[in-house]
Amino acid sequence: MNGLERDLRKSLKHKEPPAGFAERVLARAYATDKSHNGWLSRTSWQWLAAAAVIVLMAGGGFFFQQEQRRRTENERTKEQLMVGLQITSSKLRRVYERLEAIQQRTMDLHLE
Amino acid sequence: MTKADFESVVREHQRMVYSIACNFFHNAAIAEEVAQDVFLQLYENRLAVNVGTHCVAWLRRSTVHRCIDATRRSSFRQEIQVDVLPEIPDDSPETDPLLQEGLRRLIASLPETQRSVMILRFGEDMDVDDIGRTLQMPVRTVWSHLQRATARIREKAARFLKENDNERAGTRSS
Repeated sequence: MNGLERDLRKSLKHKEPPAGFAERVLARAYATDKSHNGWLSRTSWQWLAAAAVIVLMAGGGFFFQQEQRRRTENERTKEQLMVGLQITSSKLRRVYERLEAIQQRTMDLHLE
Repeated sequence: MTKADFESVVREHQRMVYSIACNFFHNAAIAEEVAQDVFLQLYENRLAVNVGTHCVAWLRRSTVHRCIDATRRSSFRQEIQVDVLPEIPDDSPETDPLLQEGLRRLIASLPETQRSVMILRFGEDMDVDDIGRTLQMPVRTVWSHLQRATARIREKAARFLKENDNERAGTRSS
């Protein structure tokens, strides 16, 4: 071992930490322990926030689906109503044509 | 590792962890902060770390990595004034506080990896293989860092001695 190596060893030898170092470390460690055990630690908040986001997304999806279904049903009902109206109008037209024919025949007979 | 184990690990190895950080930063306040963080990290990982040699290796590795991270994050680089360095004699059996302080400052001025290697080699008395395992680098790289760091310390010390000699010569001639 040369002189420099020996001096380096002496310079870098272990030093005593400040008084109360171990107690401060233990206090900090156990303080984090307590916050972890609390019913709403940071991690719990993160989980709660994630759960809230999932619930909101699921709720939104469900609402959107319901709205789509309601709109489709409305469209279908409207179409059925239109078909019904079309049928009614064609039947009315036929009745009207018959009535006209009967009236024409009656007038013809009267003239004869 | 139980809570009781953790307490005994803190009490047993606080000097080692604090000394590595203190030698790294040459600053007691930063050293205490880093050392406390290392033990807190150990507490958080206590279920994964076994008591014994594994724990000592874990503490050394975590301390060095945390020191390097802290240096890179906050630029704790210390500019060392050459004129405050004491003379480094080749052979000094007795302890010279000024010399030791100068060497500590010189080591604290080295680049992070060289500093880590020097502290583990001469502060923790680890061999090159262990240092390689701790810093996760090949043995050849550890040797290279050791040689460069020693050369840099010698160079800085020589520069100081030269400047000191010149000053003395100037005083004599006037």
